[in-house]
Amino acid sequence: MSPTAKQASLIPAKAGIGLRFQHHQSVIDTQPDVAWMEVHTENYMGGGTALRYLDVIRREVPISLHGVGLSLGSAEGLNPAHLERIRQVAERIEPGLMSEHVAWSVVDGVYLADLLPLPMTEEALDVVCRHVDQMQSYLRRRILVENPSTYVTFRHSTIPEWEFMTAVAARTGCGILCDVNNIYVSTQNHGWDLSAYLAGLPPAAIGEIHLAGHAVRQLPDGRTLRIDDHASSVIPEVWALYQEALARFGPVPTLIEWDNNVPPLDTLLKEARQAECLIAAADNKEAAHADAA
Amino acid sequence: MPTLLELQRDMCAGLIEREVGSIALSFADGVGADRLEIYRNTIVSGLTKALRLAFPAVERLVGGEFFEGTADAFTAEYPPRAAYLDQYGAEFPDFLSRFPPSLSYLADVARLEWAINCALHAPDEAPLELSQLAALAPEDQCCISFRAHPSVGLVRSDFPVDGIWRAVLSGDDQAMAALDLAAGPVFLLVERGEAGFEVTRMKKSEWEFVEALCRGEPLLSAIDPAADFDPSSLLAEHLAHGRFVAFALDASDVKASPRIAGG
Repeated sequence: MSPTAKQASLIPAKAGIGLRFQHHQSVIDTQPDVAWMEVHTENYMGGGTALRYLDVIRREVPISLHGVGLSLGSAEGLNPAHLERIRQVAERIEPGLMSEHVAWSVVDGVYLADLLPLPMTEEALDVVCRHVDQMQSYLRRRILVENPSTYVTFRHSTIPEWEFMTAVAARTGCGILCDVNNIYVSTQNHGWDLSAYLAGLPPAAIGEIHLAGHAVRQLPDGRTLRIDDHASSVIPEVWALYQEALARFGPVPTLIEWDNNVPPLDTLLKEARQAECLIAAADNKEAAHADAA
Repeated sequence: MPTLLELQRDMCAGLIEREVGSIALSFADGVGADRLEIYRNTIVSGLTKALRLAFPAVERLVGGEFFEGTADAFTAEYPPRAAYLDQYGAEFPDFLSRFPPSLSYLADVARLEWAINCALHAPDEAPLELSQLAALAPEDQCCISFRAHPSVGLVRSDFPVDGIWRAVLSGDDQAMAALDLAAGPVFLLVERGEAGFEVTRMKKSEWEFVEALCRGEPLLSAIDPAADFDPSSLLAEHLAHGRFVAFALDASDVKASPRIAGG
C-alpha cells in the first residue's frame, strides 16, 4: 500500500474514515481496506501511546491532520504555542492534508472548547484571512478551511457564508474543506438556500469533503434545530447533497466523521464504502461527459 | 455594531458566566438567547469528558451526578487556557478539597490521578544514559543537577491513596475495606514505562532524595548524610528507569520537574 513514503502521504480522491482512540488497536490488528484516515491534531500533542499508535498506522495509511483548536477567527490573534504544537505533530506525522475551521474558540486566552460562530463581516473576513496566511506560512504548506455548522446568526452579518468561504480561499490561496453535513445543518437552521450555497463555492478550491450524522432537536418555541453532533449515520438528505457536491466538484477525498457514540470500525467502513461508490459513479459520469465532448 | 473582539467577549460572558444580555443583542431577529445553551452544553460536556478521563477514581468515589455538578462548577471557575485538553484539570484536586461533602482523601486521590494523567500525556524524551555521567570528572559528579523525565510525578499523601485508587478502579470493595486509612503517609512516584504508567511506593527518605533531584537540587545537597540507603545505587536505579533526561553542572541550566503534589 505504501510504495514510497512520499506517495503514502498523499490523500487520494477516495473515501476515508476518522480515526478515534477506541479503534487504534483494531486498525492495527485488522488493517482495514480504507484509502486514508483523518485524526484531530489536538489528540496527538502529547507523547506516549496515542502517538505511538499513529506512528504505526501511518506507515500503512495516509493521514490527514484536522485541527479543532487553533481558533482562526479569534480577534486577539493566534496562540503561537498552539501553532508550534501543530507544527510538531505535522513534522512527526507527515500528513497528506492539514485543515482547520472558519470558527473561533479563544478570547482573552480562554479556550471555549467548541467551534463558535463568527459574524459574517468584513472585519471577521480580514481576521480569518490574516490567520490562514499566518498558519500557511508557519507550516510552509497549503491548508484547507472548513465551513462551520451554526445555531445562531448575527444581526450585523453582511456576507453570505458561501461568499465568505470563497473569499478566504481566493485571498489566501488555501483550499476549502466542504462539510456537506454542515451545509445541510446550517441551511436548515437558518432557512438558507441549499443549492445556492453549493453553487456559490468554487469547485477548484474544494480539497476535501466531510460527511457526518447530526441530531434533530425540537425547540420550546416549536421550531426545529439541527445539531451537528457527529453521533450517528449520515442521513439520506445529506447523501443526496453529497451527490450534488460530487457532480459539481468532481471526485474529492471524502471523510466519514463520527466523534460521539463511536460505533464499531465496521460501521464506519460501511459508510466509507457507500461514499466510495458515489465517488466512483461521479467519476464515471465525468469520464462519460469527457468522452462525449 | 460590536467589533469582533467585543462580540467574542460578550459570547464568552454568555457561555461562562451566563450573562447573556449583551450577546443576545447581537443575535439576528428570531434567535433567542437560549440558543447559547447548545454551545454551552457542547463546551461543558467536552470539558467534563476530559475531566472524567483524567479522574476516573474520583468519579467513582463521588458518583456520576456529583462529579458532573462539580465539573460544571470547576469549568466555570477554571476554563481551559489551552486548546490541548490533555493538560486540562491541574487545579481540579485543590478545587475538590473546597467542595463539600468531601472524603478526607478525595483531593489526594485526585492528585495521584493528575500525576498519572500527566505521565500518560507527557512528551517523549530520550533518557539520560549512565555512561554520559561517567565522562565527568569525579569532583564534578557531586555538583550536577538533573532534569526529570516529563512523565515523572511525585505524590505524597497522609492516606494510602495508591491502594484506594486501585481498589476503587477495580471495584474491589474487600480491598477497600481492608485499607488502614491511619497507617501513615505514603510516598509515590508516578511515571510512564514501556507498558503504560506505573505507580511505585517508596520509602520516605528515598522519595525525598528523588524529589530533591527532580526539583533540580545539586546531587550533593540532595543526599542526606544520615540516609538509610546508598544514594549512588539508587541514582543508578533511577537512571536505569529513564527517570532523568539531562544534567548540568549549573543548577539553573536544568529545568525542574513541575509536578510535585501533596503537603
